[in-house]
Amino acid sequence: MIWNETKECMSRDEIHNLQSVRLKKMVDRVYHSVEFYRKKMQQMGIEPGDINSIDDLRKLPFTTKNDLRDNYPFGLFAVPQSEVVRIHASSGTTGKATVVGYTRKDIDLWQECVARVLAMAGVGKNDKIQVAYGYGLFTGGLGLHYGAENLGATVIPMSSGNTQKLITMMQDFGATAIACTPSYLLHIAETLEEAGAIGNIKLKAAICGAEPWTENMRKEIEARLHIKAFDIYGLSEILGPGVAADCEFHNGLHVYEDHFVPEVINPETLEPCKEGEVGELVFTTITKEALPLFRYRTKDLTSITYDKCECGRTLARISRFKGRSDDMLIIRGVNVFPSQVETALLEIAETSPHYMLIVDRINNLDILEVQVEVEERFFSDEIKDLEKLTQKIARVLQSALGLSVKVKLVEPKTIQRSEGKAKRVIDKRVLV
Amino acid sequence: MIRQLSVFVQNEIGSLAGVTSVLKDNGINLRAIASFDTPEFAILRLVVDQPEKAKELLFASGFAVKVSDAVAVELEDKPGELDGMLHAIAEAKLGINYIYSIVLRNGKAPLMIVNTDDLLKTTVILKENGYIVAEQEDLLS
Repeated sequence: MIWNETKECMSRDEIHNLQSVRLKKMVDRVYHSVEFYRKKMQQMGIEPGDINSIDDLRKLPFTTKNDLRDNYPFGLFAVPQSEVVRIHASSGTTGKATVVGYTRKDIDLWQECVARVLAMAGVGKNDKIQVAYGYGLFTGGLGLHYGAENLGATVIPMSSGNTQKLITMMQDFGATAIACTPSYLLHIAETLEEAGAIGNIKLKAAICGAEPWTENMRKEIEARLHIKAFDIYGLSEILGPGVAADCEFHNGLHVYEDHFVPEVINPETLEPCKEGEVGELVFTTITKEALPLFRYRTKDLTSITYDKCECGRTLARISRFKGRSDDMLIIRGVNVFPSQVETALLEIAETSPHYMLIVDRINNLDILEVQVEVEERFFSDEIKDLEKLTQKIARVLQSALGLSVKVKLVEPKTIQRSEGKAKRVIDKRVLV
Repeated sequence: MIRQLSVFVQNEIGSLAGVTSVLKDNGINLRAIASFDTPEFAILRLVVDQPEKAKELLFASGFAVKVSDAVAVELEDKPGELDGMLHAIAEAKLGINYIYSIVLRNGKAPLMIVNTDDLLKTTVILKENGYIVAEQEDLLS
C-alpha cells in the first residue's frame, strides 16, 4: 500500500518545485538562526537570496560529522530549546556523542516517513508489530515505534536483548511484523527452528536495517521464516530510520525526497556523480526544524536513479550500500570507529597502541574481537594478572564503544605493521 | 633459588615450537618445561642452563619474556616425598601459585619447582624441614 500517494508518486517536475520552495525557505531560516551556517555562507560569499531553486543546492556548504561534534551538543540547533521535544544521540569518533534534536513537527514528519516504510512493507492497522530495536538514545526503537503507532498498527515495544521473551510473545500475541537488525532476525529464525516453532508464528513481514546486509541475506530470511523482508535506511543526523526504504520490487531504496534531498558525489573531488555511478551519499534536509543540515556527508557509498519504480513511486532510489568512504564499522547497529578503540587503549598504561579489530558474524550475531599485543614491559608471568588485564581492557572498550567486546591478548609484534595507513580491521562478515 | 623464564604464547598450533626452535638454534639446554594455559593464551615456563642468554634471544625473536625466581627442591624418588614438602609449605601458611618438575637429572634426585608469594620464606621453611634446595649452578650440564 502507498501511504501518501500525493507525495510518493509526484511527477519529477512537482518534486523539483516542492524541493525548490522548501529549500529556499529552509536556507533563509537557517541563515538567520544557525551561526555556524551563516558564517560558512558568508565565507563562501553566498546569501539566502542566491538560493532560488533546488538546482542551487550545490552552492551550499557541506556538513560533516565533525561539524556536529565541534558544535556539541546543541550548537547546530535552529530552534530555541523550548521547541525541542526529543533528543537522540549516537556514539562519535572521540567519545563525544553526536546529538540530534526534534521539534514536535520533526517527530510528526519522522512518524510519517516510518509509516510510509511500513505501509510499503504491507503492514497496516490490523497488524501487530514487534519493535526489537533498542529503545533509548538510539533512534531505532522509538523511530519505528512512533511510525507504527502513526500507521495504526499494534506496537509491541520489545526493545532488544531478550530473544526468549520475544519468541514467546511472537507466538502468543500472533505478531505479524517485526522490526530489528537483519542479523538479529536470523538469530531469531535459528532459535525458532531449534524450538521447532516456525509453524507457530504468524509473521509475514520484517523491516530490517541499522547495519549493512545483502540481497542473499534478505532471501535467506524470507526462506527460513516464510515472510517478506524489507530494507530500511536512516541515520540519526538526518532523521533516524525512515530516510529511505525499499518496496516489494527490491530495486533500490526509495528516498523521501519531499523531506530529504539526496546527492551522490565523488568523495575525493566532491563533484556530483552521474546517475548509476557509485559515490558518497549526501543529504540536505528541507523540512526539519530542530536540526536542519545542508549537504550532510553520510560517508555511505551508493548510486542513485530517478527512474519511476514498478511500484508506481516516482521517488529517487538509492542502491544497496557498497560500503563506506571512511573506516566506520556498524556492529549490531552501533557505529564503531577504529580510532575510538585506539583512544581507549591509550588510556590503559599496560597496552601498546598496536591493535586489530576482527568483526565476525557467529550464529548470525556480530561479534567484535579486539586483539591487543602484550607489552614486553608490562608482561606479567602470572595468568591471573593477564586475565585481569584482559577484563580491564574489555571494560574500558565496552564503556567507550557502547558495545560488548571480546579481548584477545596476542604476542608482541604479531599485529601487522604497515607503512602509511595501518590496517586495523578485518571484517569477516560475508556480505555478498 | 633458581631462575626460570616465562614466555607469553598464543594458544595456536606451533606456538611452543616457535619458542623451542630459538633455544635449539642457540645451543640452550632445557631442564624443565611447563605450560599453563587458558583458552586464549598460555604462559610457557622454562628452566634452562643459561637463563639470561635465553631471555635475550627470545626477546630478540619478538617474544614477551620475563625471568623470575623459583624454588627448586630435591625430592627422593619414593612415595610421600611431594606430600611432605607440600605440607611443610602449607603449614607455613604459604600459597602455591604453580608447581612443575624436573624428573631426569642424570642420576641426581628429581627437582620440584615451586612458586609462592614468598620465595625466601619458602626456601627457609623447606631447609628447616630437611629438604635440599637447589641453586642455578646445580642446573649446569
